[in-house]
Amino acid sequence: MTDTVGTAEAAKPVRVRRRIPVRSPHQASRGTSTGRMGGPFAGIPWALPALALVGVLLVYPFLRSIYGSFFEDNGFTSSFTGIDNYTRLAEDPIFGRSLLNTFMWVAGTLLLPVVAGLAIAVATHRMRRFGGLAQLVIVLPFAISGAATASLWRFMLTTDGAVNQVLRGIGLDSWAQGWLLEWPQNTISMIVASTWQATGLNVVLFAIGLRAIPRETIEAAELDGATGWRMFRHITLPQLRAVTVVVVGMAIVNSLKAFDMIWVLTQGGPSRSSETLALTMYREAFRLFHVGYGSAVALVLSVIVVASSWLYLRRQMPGAKD
Amino acid sequence: MGRHMRNLFVAGCVLLWLLPLYILIVNSLTPPEEFTGSVDWTPQGFAFFDNVKAAWTDAGIGDGFASSMLYAVVCGGVAVVVAAMAAFAVIVLPIPRPALWFWVIFSGTLFPLQMFLAPLFGMYADANLYDTRLGLMLVYAAWAIPFAFFLIRNQMTTMPPEITEAAMLDGASMRRIFWRIHVPLMRSGLGAAFIFQFTAVWNDLLFGITLSRSPEVQPVMAALNSLTQAYSTAGPPVVLAGAFIVSLPTLLVFLVFRGLFLRGITASAR
Repeated sequence: MTDTVGTAEAAKPVRVRRRIPVRSPHQASRGTSTGRMGGPFAGIPWALPALALVGVLLVYPFLRSIYGSFFEDNGFTSSFTGIDNYTRLAEDPIFGRSLLNTFMWVAGTLLLPVVAGLAIAVATHRMRRFGGLAQLVIVLPFAISGAATASLWRFMLTTDGAVNQVLRGIGLDSWAQGWLLEWPQNTISMIVASTWQATGLNVVLFAIGLRAIPRETIEAAELDGATGWRMFRHITLPQLRAVTVVVVGMAIVNSLKAFDMIWVLTQGGPSRSSETLALTMYREAFRLFHVGYGSAVALVLSVIVVASSWLYLRRQMPGAKD
Repeated sequence: MGRHMRNLFVAGCVLLWLLPLYILIVNSLTPPEEFTGSVDWTPQGFAFFDNVKAAWTDAGIGDGFASSMLYAVVCGGVAVVVAAMAAFAVIVLPIPRPALWFWVIFSGTLFPLQMFLAPLFGMYADANLYDTRLGLMLVYAAWAIPFAFFLIRNQMTTMPPEITEAAMLDGASMRRIFWRIHVPLMRSGLGAAFIFQFTAVWNDLLFGITLSRSPEVQPVMAALNSLTQAYSTAGPPVVLAGAFIVSLPTLLVFLVFRGLFLRGITASAR
């Protein structure tokens, strides 16, 4: 199903760490032609619209959020309180639960969509007839928004929803329950719902990685008698290392940013038990009008996002040395 | 034995993934008044178009659909053009400290949206942009720029500088070089960026519920959220029909432009 992507990529081996050159050939050959291009600042008017939009609507609010997190602010009046918001965070049981849920999302996303994605990619790899079709079916929910997925899964997860009916149908009556009504089932069932949506992306990425494994490597291993699990463990898995870094990095970032599905399914409830940091920030800032406190939560979340995606981001950066 | 296990596993996964879609379609066929409160496993009647109509007009999905189509097409397009210009500035033209500008623009995709929301809300309230289409379009365009810039910039680095030099020797102005050489040569890359940002804007919920309130302005996912919160009064078949029509544009885009669509996502994996 990813033929268009695949054929272009098949020849190119996935490198472990690739840096995008900062100094492009254009700039390298620039020395003599700068004058003809209109002086050393000719690029600035071209970058201006992007810089203006991003600067005013993203960068400035970002800095303002950091600044605002040191204020007690209810939307009308605000007063400087130093790091008071942060010390309150440490004592807030709701924040603690929210942090725990956030880590459950990260762990659950690494456990379910990433492992399932790897298993499905390996199983459908070189499958003669239905491999591509199976991949297409599994990647299809990825084109559906988080909000729409949540509307559908609400139907699956309500007390007389599809999941409970299936459980009763196969005689597991005692397993049927209000999936969204109690912690920790609500967080876990939402992670399962997001698995349905997010696995496809990982299948696609792993499939690209699998196609990049040189045939000779597999053949050599086969000659040495490697099959099945040993082949997977000692040949396939190490060869997928580079892709795995990307998949894991994206999975962590996406699970930390998850908002739509939780908001539509439970709004973080009941009684704020399924909130993650993304939800807690929204509720504090826009429902309870604790704007400064919400900004502090947002900053904690941002730090976690950037810190945990460091490994993955490092690959994308134009080298730190300019 | 291994192959049978594998086929069984794949078939099982495909069934598991199709089941929710099957339930979505079968239950959105049921007339709301005949819905018993529990899931239908076989089609009960054919009220699909009535349900779609109920979601479209009564629940305001129609208004949201039109607004979101405007937001996604215009902001996706504007973001791609602006991002391509910025990439042109950073890669082709002389500019002091190109890496700095790269980071200023790229930083927009790193952080969670929550980091921008509270000040944006304050700014919008002060500037009378809260709950206006213009306000949402501005923020969607700004939000779509950084990743589009990242994709386009990466593709632009692969273009040989001799192309620019040849055009300059022929006496073309920079504007002409950009529109007549770079844009046509990067058609597929620009298309991938547009499709990616169209989908992102279309699927957005958070900006929609934070920066708008009235049904004429709210994007479609916010309308779907309101409909889903009125789950039992609206009737589950109507909610499911709403979820279905809301997903239709991105599903169609995905099925038609699968290669370009996945290229946007997988670009970061290479």
